[in-house]
Amino acid sequence: MSRQPEEPIFNRIEELRIEKGLSRQQLADAVGVHYQTVGYLERGEYNPSLSLALKISKELQASVGEIFSLTPFRKVRNNA
Amino acid sequence: MPKKNKIYWFEGVTEKGVKSLLNDENSKFRWLRSQRNRRVLVILMSLGLILTASGSYWTSIKKELNLDSEVEIIVFSIAAIFVLLSVVGGYSFLRISVRGLAEAPDELLDERQIQVRNTSFRYAYLVMGYIVLILMLLMIVGPRLELFGSDGPDGSFLLISVMFIFASLPSMILAWREKDI
Repeated sequence: MSRQPEEPIFNRIEELRIEKGLSRQQLADAVGVHYQTVGYLERGEYNPSLSLALKISKELQASVGEIFSLTPFRKVRNNA
Repeated sequence: MPKKNKIYWFEGVTEKGVKSLLNDENSKFRWLRSQRNRRVLVILMSLGLILTASGSYWTSIKKELNLDSEVEIIVFSIAAIFVLLSVVGGYSFLRISVRGLAEAPDELLDERQIQVRNTSFRYAYLVMGYIVLILMLLMIVGPRLELFGSDGPDGSFLLISVMFIFASLPSMILAWREKDI
């Protein structure tokens, strides 16, 4: 059976990281990856393993479902 | 007590060496790490390797240039030293440009780095297969066509070039493919 082309996975890592006031380097150090890898994750150019996804979810204090999705996230308009 | 610098004999690197290459802070070579500059480096390195390999054809080239023996030795020596030093320098810059990922042991890399490193080795293996095939064909037809001149075969520069290709190909592929962040 041939492997299907990789399905895009959308994420809110950048949004949640900024909300938490973390830099890419800080998040990278916390989850044990290179800061470049955080950049690739945020741009959706790399899909994390389950263990990395769980570490990110713990660090950003959000569930995996809140961070990653197979469908694009709706933009939340800030009317405050 | 300072932590001991672990040596990875199989990869030919040290823990401190790998970590300093992976770390961008205070790096003098940040400019080298843009995709554009990495690709320029790959092209220059390829040209250097082709020039190195062409040293094996010197016996044919010198006849065509009609050089006397003294000038011939000077031209050949200077050109050979210049090209070889350029290739060694290019190899070092290439390693720095990709943060030494190709030679780094798994335990010092994260999961994405391991993945891109493994992919580059897969491509490098395929490319090397084609290069070895071409070399084998050269070995078969070379003597008949006198590819290395009538004075006798001189494949030494070709072999030096192939050794450098073996060492640098995974880094060259990484340097070409890795995107900027």
